[in-house]
Amino acid sequence: MRFENLEDLEHRRRELEARRAEGARVRICAGTGCLAGGSAHVKAAFETEAARRGLTLGVDFRAETTGCHGFCEEGPLVVVEPGGILYRRVQPGDVAEILESTVLGGIPVERLLYRDASGKVCLSEKETPFYAGQDRQVLHRCGHIDPKEIDDYIRTGGYRALGTALSMEPEEVVRTVVASGLRGRGGGGFPTGAKWESCRRASGTHRFVIANGDEGDPGAFMDRSLMEGDPHSVLEGMLIGAHAVGARKGFLYVRAEYPLAVEHLGRAIAQARERGLLGRNILGSGMDFDLEICRGGGAFVCGESSALMASIEGRAGEPRVKYIRSTERGLWNCPTVLNNVETWANVPLVLLRGEKAYRSKGTSGSPGTKVFSLVGKVRHSGLVEVPMGTSLREIVFGLGGGVLGRGRFKAVQTGGPSGGCLPEEKLDLPVDFDRLVEEGSMMGSGGMIVMDQRTCMVDVARYFIGFLAEESCGKCVPCREGLQAILAILRDLTEGRGRPGDARRLEEMGRALSDTALCALGQTAANPVLSTLRFFSEEYREHEENHFCRAGVCRGLYVSRIARESCVGCGACKRTCPTGAISGETKKVHSVDPTSCIGCGACLDTCAFGALAAAPREGTTR
Amino acid sequence: MPRSCDTLSAPSCPDLDAILARHPAHPRYLLAALQDIQAAFRHIPREAMVRVAAHMGIPESRVYGVATFYKALSLVPKGRKTVKVCMGTACHLRGAPGVLEALENALGIAPGDTTEDGAFSLETVNCLGACALAPVVMVEDTPYGAMTPARVASMLEKERDHAV
Amino acid sequence: MKTLSVDGKTVSVESGTMLYDAAVLAGASIPTLCRHEGLPHEGACRVCMVELHRRGTVRLVASCMFPVNEEGLEVRTDTERVRAARNFVIRLLLRRNGDSAAIRRLAAEENVLPDGRLPALEKELCIRCGRCIRACSANGTDALGFALRGWDRKTTPPFGEAAATCVGCLACAEVCPTGHISWEEKDGHRRIWGRDFALVCCEHCGEPFATEEQLAFLRAGHPSDALSPEEERFCPRCRRIRAGQSFTLEEVKDR
Repeated sequence: MRFENLEDLEHRRRELEARRAEGARVRICAGTGCLAGGSAHVKAAFETEAARRGLTLGVDFRAETTGCHGFCEEGPLVVVEPGGILYRRVQPGDVAEILESTVLGGIPVERLLYRDASGKVCLSEKETPFYAGQDRQVLHRCGHIDPKEIDDYIRTGGYRALGTALSMEPEEVVRTVVASGLRGRGGGGFPTGAKWESCRRASGTHRFVIANGDEGDPGAFMDRSLMEGDPHSVLEGMLIGAHAVGARKGFLYVRAEYPLAVEHLGRAIAQARERGLLGRNILGSGMDFDLEICRGGGAFVCGESSALMASIEGRAGEPRVKYIRSTERGLWNCPTVLNNVETWANVPLVLLRGEKAYRSKGTSGSPGTKVFSLVGKVRHSGLVEVPMGTSLREIVFGLGGGVLGRGRFKAVQTGGPSGGCLPEEKLDLPVDFDRLVEEGSMMGSGGMIVMDQRTCMVDVARYFIGFLAEESCGKCVPCREGLQAILAILRDLTEGRGRPGDARRLEEMGRALSDTALCALGQTAANPVLSTLRFFSEEYREHEENHFCRAGVCRGLYVSRIARESCVGCGACKRTCPTGAISGETKKVHSVDPTSCIGCGACLDTCAFGALAAAPREGTTR
Repeated sequence: MPRSCDTLSAPSCPDLDAILARHPAHPRYLLAALQDIQAAFRHIPREAMVRVAAHMGIPESRVYGVATFYKALSLVPKGRKTVKVCMGTACHLRGAPGVLEALENALGIAPGDTTEDGAFSLETVNCLGACALAPVVMVEDTPYGAMTPARVASMLEKERDHAV
Repeated sequence: MKTLSVDGKTVSVESGTMLYDAAVLAGASIPTLCRHEGLPHEGACRVCMVELHRRGTVRLVASCMFPVNEEGLEVRTDTERVRAARNFVIRLLLRRNGDSAAIRRLAAEENVLPDGRLPALEKELCIRCGRCIRACSANGTDALGFALRGWDRKTTPPFGEAAATCVGCLACAEVCPTGHISWEEKDGHRRIWGRDFALVCCEHCGEPFATEEQLAFLRAGHPSDALSPEEERFCPRCRRIRAGQSFTLEEVKDR
């Protein structure tokens, strides 16, 4: 059924709201993390259990799969409404009890509830620190609606912002976005409104809008969750953008490794076309616009805008020299607006609430909220949304629950492979675009990786440079040859061939690379080296002068040592040691023979008492 | 058009014509067509590149360039099952390098290669977006979370049973 | 016309002129590798970087690709930052392409020494500047392209086989800055990119000037590109001479 105008849409929304049945409802997370944990079987179990009891799904109660709830560490997640009772690590075997006690009886199943660090039981999402500290604006539908059903989106106010935009002149829409201060969520934080303005003004008969869903940063899955969990919000943002700049055609470029996102976006497009929200004369406004999905081919560099456009055009994803902006000459040399998926999903919020309300959250330079994926050595891996300006400490310790296991916090890495590592003394930094850059890191798309004392910062730099060297397109000399040269030195450092002066040399090469590379990938590729050098130079010095890795990561660059006062003589380390270097009687202090210890690190993680640590090999300290 | 490639002339192979017919004769569908060919043939046969170039009216040099640029495309046939080891940052920090090493030893191949019996291909991927399960290994569509080098053998055994 | 300053000297150029051309006009000397006068520019080698002062910001740009579209740009071609950038790039090229006389000459001109800290590499001549590919594409033959990516990127005919659409015109070899593209000629044949081509000799001076395949390619292409049957018999030089005035063979060879 096609909406001929705004009234049709609003009528449908009221109808859906009125028809919305009261009663129990189970929300089962079907985000990638929970699916991997078996949430599809949990859904199936609800169906079987319902049938066994003669209950009709959709009448007696509803069991719905939704997009990512965010609390991935504790998945598979199930929430029972009303009350928002949150169950974690749910297995199919738990379903009968959930159905019996909670859905039918209203009584929580205590053993499936989350307990906070102090052991307090948290009944609902609201009581759980991971959720309580968040401000879910962009993600407000994620985990609450069925992403495969456009009616769910419309019932919750979807496409109303499009209606607002269509009632405004395009210039006015651009002005609103400019005034909102919205900045690009994909990396650089370029003002979105300025981009739109520039595209609108550029001359050309055809114009395009593109959503960059080629989320390639390892450890980041914000855009994936949005595309999978609330695809229509991205479509609506693009529709508004198309109206503002005068585009009739748009592309969604989605990463190859995200088949579920492709599926959900594809469904969303088909449903939007059926309703007349894409196609000709949208909502009777006279606007024509359609969307197409392009699957990425597995190339990180395609996150760079000109490379992404080359890829859409059917070429290898090589960036081009951009002394003329893509808003003037982009896709097929036509004026093009390219925004990240999360940026597009912010647009309906701006239009619906107005620029003032939007600016009321976040900082003056970076208004609004930001979604982060919190991963690594953190207790609660997952997806969080907080206002810009929230401190790193609040995110890592408040929401994330601090460092995993017995670890001590060492650094948090933001901004993806080209970002930077920030040490403990920067934990109170309010996170926004500019503050992160001031400290030598960047926002990137929102990956936040927590590292503990068992993380070697030289190894981290080697890891990221290795990643970027593999993903370099090879077009320009500095990136193609320079990253290999930097990597060669980092390999030497982590494999015991470091030489005095290496750190200084890395810094020089890194600065020259930033100055000379052709595209943003190469220009920021040295950041992992430069930022670890800035805050962790001592570790570099140990690697280059003493061939010592204090984190016990770089193989052979340390020996294990047992602290007498902490050892209880449990023998766990002795059993793990592959060379028999550890000796000691049960319940007596053990010791490591440094001559037979090969520095493999196997024992370091087994000690439950923190008695083992990496120590320099004898004769290596100057 | 001669079908010189064995894979293409085998009667059980999906029809290349059908794939080409799905994609309009415009260069912008090049990557999409190659992805469909990869999915159908588990690699991009040489003859398919020639046909795609003719179909879309673009030089073979460009098709070859695109086919070798993107990691999702391969010129050599992939195994019946692909083992993807996530090398994302979270997985790296939680021990992915050790898991990869164990897989290399168990399969006797390096990432990017296929076992001689054609059962498995080993690949590294940058992030599967399942960081809470780190380190993660995916065998086709089955994820294995919290992997350790010690669990590699049993995982392969389980997958090998239905690998044929 | 737009006015800019290059190392303190003022010049005026047509709007859209590239910084490189403007700088050369002002008497500056900037090294280049991937730039070729007759081909579209790519900005890939990064040796022509210059310091651009514009609206209060300073950055390095590839001079071959930056258009002068406004008044008052200020360019410096020989600052410490420019030299550091240039040296970085040349030293990287020396590491892999040190066997190329052109790269060694460039290094000598810029006083760049090889980097002794880095592990040595097997030497090769191709610097992946893409001039050959652009030349081949400009001719419409498209017999060459880049394959693979990153460090492994290479210039190759499709499928790594003999170049099927090559016509043996040598345009690729002529624009190659490092001598990577080699060919041989004997017994009336030219061998390049794994294929043999029949040479066509000038009826006047006897020098080979094209291949059969090249002439056939021109005949099959746009009528304005094709040679008349009369023209196909003579090399370009003799053609020009014949168009003006008749010379004897001895006189032609003297010229």
